[in-house]
Amino acid sequence: MNHHQNQPISNSSHLAKDLQRILPYPALQAFEKEGGFADRLQIALASDLDANGNFGEQWLLIDDASLFVFAIQNGQATVQFCFILAEIRDAQVEPCVGGSLLRITAQGKTHVLLHFSNELTERFALAAHYLRQRAQLGAEAEPPDFSSDGQRCVSCGNRLLDPSLKVCPNCIKRGQVMRRLILMAKPYWSLGGVLFALMLSGVIVDLLPPFLTRILIDDVLTNKLHTNWLFWLVAGLFGLQVVRVIITISHALLTNRISTQFAAGVREAMFAHLKSLSLDFFDRNESGRLLTRINHDTEELQGLINQMASFTLYTVLVIGIGVVLFSMAPSLGFFVLIPTPLVLAATILYHKRMLPNFRRYWISRWRMNSMLNTFLAGIQVVKAFAQEAQEQNRYTELNQNALHARLRIDQAWGKFFPFISFAFGAGGLIIWYAGGQSVLEGRISLGTLMAFLGYLGMFYGPLSNMTQISQAINRFTTISQRTFEFLDETPRVQEKAIAAARPKPVKGGIEFDGVTFGYNPYFPVLKDITFRIEPGELIGVVGPSGAGKTTLVNLICRFYDPTSGSVRIDGQDLREMTFDEIRRNIGIVLQQPFLFSGTIAQNIAYAKPDASREDIIRAAKAANAHDFITNLPEGYDTIVGEGGAGLSGGERQRVSIARAILLNPRILILDEATSSVDTEAERQIQKALETLVQGRTTIAIAHRLSTLYNADRIIALERGKIAEMGSPQELMNQKGLFYNLVQIQSQFARLDGVPTV
Amino acid sequence: MNVDEKTTLPQTDPEAHESFDLVFLDPKTIRFEYEGNNLTLTDSDGRHYPLVTLRRCYPLSASETFILVRLPDDEDQPGRELGILKDCRELQPESYQAVRQELRLHYLVPVIQRVHHIREEFGFLYWSVDTDRGAKEFIMRDSIISSTRRMSPTHWLLIDINQTRYEIRDLEALDHRSQEMVKKYLLL
Repeated sequence: MNHHQNQPISNSSHLAKDLQRILPYPALQAFEKEGGFADRLQIALASDLDANGNFGEQWLLIDDASLFVFAIQNGQATVQFCFILAEIRDAQVEPCVGGSLLRITAQGKTHVLLHFSNELTERFALAAHYLRQRAQLGAEAEPPDFSSDGQRCVSCGNRLLDPSLKVCPNCIKRGQVMRRLILMAKPYWSLGGVLFALMLSGVIVDLLPPFLTRILIDDVLTNKLHTNWLFWLVAGLFGLQVVRVIITISHALLTNRISTQFAAGVREAMFAHLKSLSLDFFDRNESGRLLTRINHDTEELQGLINQMASFTLYTVLVIGIGVVLFSMAPSLGFFVLIPTPLVLAATILYHKRMLPNFRRYWISRWRMNSMLNTFLAGIQVVKAFAQEAQEQNRYTELNQNALHARLRIDQAWGKFFPFISFAFGAGGLIIWYAGGQSVLEGRISLGTLMAFLGYLGMFYGPLSNMTQISQAINRFTTISQRTFEFLDETPRVQEKAIAAARPKPVKGGIEFDGVTFGYNPYFPVLKDITFRIEPGELIGVVGPSGAGKTTLVNLICRFYDPTSGSVRIDGQDLREMTFDEIRRNIGIVLQQPFLFSGTIAQNIAYAKPDASREDIIRAAKAANAHDFITNLPEGYDTIVGEGGAGLSGGERQRVSIARAILLNPRILILDEATSSVDTEAERQIQKALETLVQGRTTIAIAHRLSTLYNADRIIALERGKIAEMGSPQELMNQKGLFYNLVQIQSQFARLDGVPTV
Repeated sequence: MNVDEKTTLPQTDPEAHESFDLVFLDPKTIRFEYEGNNLTLTDSDGRHYPLVTLRRCYPLSASETFILVRLPDDEDQPGRELGILKDCRELQPESYQAVRQELRLHYLVPVIQRVHHIREEFGFLYWSVDTDRGAKEFIMRDSIISSTRRMSPTHWLLIDINQTRYEIRDLEALDHRSQEMVKKYLLL
C-alpha cells in the first residue's frame, strides 16, 4: 500500500473494503455509531480472547483518526476503549504466558488494551509497529500487510502447522512434486526402465508355476494322459524358481542402487546449497532441524523410493493375479474377493493397534536412554550431592515403564497374531469349500482348484501391503516438497554480480553510515549507528550484554545486510564487494574458538590451505602457540577437533589466533577473544594478540575492560545506540557508561584479589 | 517496602547492591484495583502504582502463592520487582478478585475439562476440547517427546504449535471417554 500524496485515495479505500468484509456486522455498526469511518479503516484485527481471558472475540479497529476496541458478546458489540491516534505516543506487545497483551501510551499514561493468544502475537506486533510508525510519521505510516506474516500456507491461506514447509500438506501439488522428482532422477531413467522390465518379467514368472501345476495335476496325475510330462513339468517348475531367484536378486540390487545413488545425489545438492545460504537462514533454522533434513530426510527418501518400487510391483502382481483368477474360473474369482475385506481390515487394525504400542516402547526407551546420558554426564554432581538414591528411583521408574511398554507389545502381538492368521487362512477355506463344490459338480478340474489356491497365497500378501500406499505417497511427497523448498531457498545476503572485481589492496578504514539493523526488522538491535574508523586504529567496543556489540561485528563481516544505512570499507559499500574480497581482508577470533577435525596445521591453514610449512610455524610462533604445539607428541600433526586430542581453552584460542595471523588480514575482529580462559591463559593470549594487532585495523569486543587500555578509541554501545565514543582517558574523565563499567569490574576484581585496572 | 531507599544508593552499579532478601508485601494493607484493563497497586504507605504486573513463581505447583508484583518492563530494562505476595488468598476480597483476574489474563493456560475428539493427520494431532475458558480446537505436533511435559503420571502439559500450553490437571478426574482418548494419543 502506498500513501504518498499523489496516490489516489482509492488505494486505501480498497484496503478498507477488504477489512470491512472480515468485520462482523455488530462491530461495524458500533464502530460507525461511535464516530469511526468504515471506509477509512486501516486495521481491523480480531483477538481470540474476551476481556475475562475466556475464548471469545474482541476487535481492534483503527481508522485514519482513532483507535477502538470492541468486545463482541452474543452478537452485541460494546466499546472497551477509544483513543485519538494523535494522542498515542507508543504501542507495545508484551508477551505473557500462552498469549500477549497490547499496551499503548497515550496522554502520558499506559493502557492495557486487550489480550490475545500466541497465535495472533505476530499480527498484533505488526499493528503495534504501525501505531509506533504513526506516532512518528503521522499519516505517512503504511498499514501493515498481514498476509505476509509467513505463517500461512501460500496456497490456501490456512495456518501453517509445519514451519519447515511453505504450503500445508493438503496443498502440496503432488503431480508437480512428482514431476520434479522424476526430472531430477533423469540420470536414472534408463536404469529405471530396466527395473520395470525386470519387475514385469518377475510377475510373469510368478504367475506361471500354478499354471504348470494345473497341467501336472489334471493331465499327468489325475487323468494320466501324458505321464512322460512329469519330469519336464517339474524341471520347468525348477527352472522358473531359478529364474525367479535371479530376477529377485537383480531387482533388489538395482532398486537399492538407484535409490541410494539418488539419495546421495540429493544429499550432496542439499549440502552444496546449504553452504551458500547466508547466516540469517541458520538463525531461523536450528542446526538440529537442518541435520534432520539433510540426513534423515534423504535417508527416508531412499527408503520411500524402495517402497514405491515395491508398491508398483504389488500393483502389477495383484492386477495380474486378479486377471488370471477371473479368466480361469469366473465363479471362483468372485469367492476370492469375499475374504478381501477381512484381510484389509486385519491390516488396518494392525497399524492402528500395534504401531502405538511400538511407539510407546520407543518413547520409553528414549526416556531411559536420555536419563542414563544425563546421569553419566552429571555423575560428578550426583556423587558430590550424594543423590544416588534419587537417581536410582528415577531409573527404576523409567525401567518399569519400558518393561510395561514391552509387555504391552508382546501381549498385543499375542492377541493379534492369531487373528491375522485367521483372516488370511479363512480366505483359503472359502475357496476350498466353494472350489471343492465346483470340482465335485465337475465345473472345474482339481488342477484348476490347486492352481487357484496357489495364486491365492500370492494375492493377499501384496493386497494387504497396498493399504499403506496412500500414507507412503503422502510421506513421499511431503519429504520431497521439503527438500525442494530447501533447495529453492535463496540467500538473503547476496553477492552482487560485479563486473570484474578489481583486487585493490584494502587499507582498513571502516565506516558506518546511519546503520539500522534487526534480525527481525521490526525489532532493531542497532539504531542509526554512524562512526568512522581510520586504517590501523585499535577500537574497543564495550557495553552491557544485548547492546549490539556482536551484531556490529556481524555487519562488518557482511553476515547480514543492514536494514537501512550502509557499511563501508575504505569508502566502498560492502554490498558492492565480493564475498571473497571481504573475507580475505577480515580475520576473526571468536570467543569460543572453533577447531575443525583435522590436524593443528590444517586448522591454522584453514583460510589459506596453500600456506607453506614455514608460514604455519611462523604464524603459530606469532600466536604464542608454537611452544605448546611442539611439545605435543604429534606436534603440528596432532589431530584436534571432534574425537581429537583435547586442547585447553587457551590453547585452542591461540590456534585460532594463529589462523587469523596466517590470513594476514587488514581488519581484525576480536570478539571477546579472552573471556573464556583463565588469567594465565589470558596473559598468553594477550601477548599473542599484541603481535597480531600491529599495523591492522582492529575491533576488539572485550568483556575485561583492562584489555582495552591501549585502545585508540572506545565505542560504548547501549541498547543499540552509541552512548559514548572517545579515547579511554576521555571516557574515564567523562564518567559515563564506560567509567561505570570499569568501576564495576574493578570492584569485582578487588573481590577476586586480582588487580585489573 | 523500601523501594525508594534502594534508588538512592550510588548509581555506579545497580546490580551489585541488589539484596537477596525477599520483600514480602503485607496482604492486609495493600490494595489491587483495576482501572480499565490496568491493574493498579496502592501499597501500605499509600503509594499508588498505575500499572503493575504479576508473575507466579510456581505456576504449576503453587498457583496462588509466591506471586511477584512487578512494574511493567519498558523498552530499556525489565520492570523492577516491588515485592512478593506470599499467599494472594490473604488479600482483601476485592484485591484478591483483581489479582485472580490479572493472573488469569497473564497465564493463558487453559485447563482441559473434557476431550471431544482427537484426530491424527500428517503428523499432527487435532484436538477438540472443553476448557475452563470455553471450547477450543488446537493442533499439536505428533511428537510426544517434544510437545508434552509430564509433571506427574496424571498431570500433563500439552504444547500446541503456537507454544500455548494446555493443562490436564488430573487425568483421572476426566470422564472415562476423555481419559481413554488422551491415553491413546499420548501413548500412556
